[in-house]
Amino acid sequence: MSTPPVAVRPQPVQSVQVRPDKPRNGPKYAIAIVVLAGITVWSALAVEVDVAALFRNANNASRTLIQLVQPDYSFIPQTMPALMQTVQMAIIGTAISIAVALPLSFLASRATNPNKTLLAVVRFIMNVVRSVPDLLYASIFVTVVGTGALSGIMAIFLFDLGIMVKLISEALDGIDRGGQEAARAAGATWLKANRSAMLPEIAPSYLSQSIYVLELNIRASAVIGLVGAGGLGMLIDKVRTFYQYHYLSTVILEILVLVVLLELLSSFTRKRLLT
Amino acid sequence: MTAPTNGARTGAAIVFDNVNVSYPNGVIGLQDVSLSIAPGEMVAVVGLSGAGKSTLVRTINGLVPITSGEITVGEHRLSTARGKELRRLRSEVGMIFQSFNLAKRTTVLNNVLMGRLYYTSAFRSLLGWWKKDDVELAMQSLERVEIVNKAYTSASELSGGQQQRVAIARTLSQRPRVILADEPTASLDPPTSHVVMRDLQRINSELGITVVVNLHFLDLARRYGQRLIGLRDGRVVFDGPGAKADEKVFESIYGRSLTAEDVLDAPVVVP
Ligand SMILES: Nc1ncnc2c1ncn2[C@@H]1O[C@H](COP(=O)(O)OP(=O)(O)O)[C@@H](O)[C@H]1O
Ligand SMILES: [Mg+2]
Repeated sequence: MSTPPVAVRPQPVQSVQVRPDKPRNGPKYAIAIVVLAGITVWSALAVEVDVAALFRNANNASRTLIQLVQPDYSFIPQTMPALMQTVQMAIIGTAISIAVALPLSFLASRATNPNKTLLAVVRFIMNVVRSVPDLLYASIFVTVVGTGALSGIMAIFLFDLGIMVKLISEALDGIDRGGQEAARAAGATWLKANRSAMLPEIAPSYLSQSIYVLELNIRASAVIGLVGAGGLGMLIDKVRTFYQYHYLSTVILEILVLVVLLELLSSFTRKRLLT
Repeated sequence: MTAPTNGARTGAAIVFDNVNVSYPNGVIGLQDVSLSIAPGEMVAVVGLSGAGKSTLVRTINGLVPITSGEITVGEHRLSTARGKELRRLRSEVGMIFQSFNLAKRTTVLNNVLMGRLYYTSAFRSLLGWWKKDDVELAMQSLERVEIVNKAYTSASELSGGQQQRVAIARTLSQRPRVILADEPTASLDPPTSHVVMRDLQRINSELGITVVVNLHFLDLARRYGQRLIGLRDGRVVFDGPGAKADEKVFESIYGRSLTAEDVLDAPVVVP
């Protein structure tokens, strides 16, 4: 014997309440999709994507591909110096950029910098810094200070600085400012209040973003080497020039392993930091 | 219970002389407020939400600037205090907030030490390198509110009542001459509200610190304030001992007769 289900008693309807119409978002989405599709097609036409070329070069491409899927592992010892250099560039670039980014983030956040003029100046400069792609930085520094790791580190530094200051200043904008208000009400300067009450609140996300840019830097330092800024990228450029595709695939494989390892480490630590 | 060591200061007088506050958007916060609060007095400020209670206490430490008139706190004049002078005044005035205002991701002790920032050099505060005496003072302040066992706990792990007591310890570590409390019990349940109010009352009577406390609830105000100030639309409409505040006075403050929503503890005996 089971008890009958409890009847839902109809609620008295209050006549003054009016149920709103369900918002109609359908047309908006449709328009957005059409616009996005249009932009994509236009971009494809503009860069003259030539699918036919893929087939014209099929012969050549297949020969290259066959070499590429047969990495020559005996080449690995010879790649070690370049691999080490890539890792070193990434680490040094990360270290310098996160150190410089921390104070700049406090100057770039509305929550921690009461000086409107300074805020605007710092934000403008950081927007410019961030708008330049890493490869372009690398090309510029290779031209100015010559090929090698130093150019790579400088490129990585500026690239990271833009990202870090953006992420950390936005974190500052978003946190509860109660502690800061209390510290200022107790007679602290902005500097002291920010250090004591705001820094601890963003410390976990600061560490987590630092690991994230280190991860980005391993990829970036592999790529910017292509324009002569040291590391594995420079090696890629060399073996490609001599059509040594067995070697090329070895290097690409190494980068892949490196990035995957770092990503595992990064996601593991970040998860622990942010919980 | 121990009194803070390095020579507790005496309470300061607070004088409002024809104070007006209007906010940048044109809203009027205070109108022609004149008040004189004696050193060591405990005053409760009551009024409806929007009456100007927060504005009143926040002008006392310069968090809200006054538009005209003058406020003196001890020997400081608010109308002219800027920069270092304003920070000095603030170092003598502790403030307790409705939402506790702790830095959640750091320890209770670090939060209490923030009350010492005025006296700590920029260099030391950047390194988090607190002076021994300041740490001792912070520990004593935590003892006074009976929560010293949580000194190394993260502030986020405390209950609301515990957080508010840490906030009280933070103001005590300032060795203040005045404590301002802006609806300190509004986020707490009734029993905890009484604990916090009793803490404030003890601090007032034992240390002689002048206390101005905003309260939404009339029974709390009458019970803990020696003197009651009623605000309505930014004006002082009552100023006197709580015992003198009868039904007519309540109507002048609240614009209606007293209901159960105006008191913390039900059932209520309306005087
Ligand atoms: N920062 C502000 N800017 C503009 N108006 C404000 C600001 N703070 C408070 N007010 C207004 O001032 C009046 C008094 O507010 P407040 O002092 O917070 O009252 P209470 O604390 O008694 O609720 C209200 O009308 C409120 O809307
Ligand atoms: Mg208020």
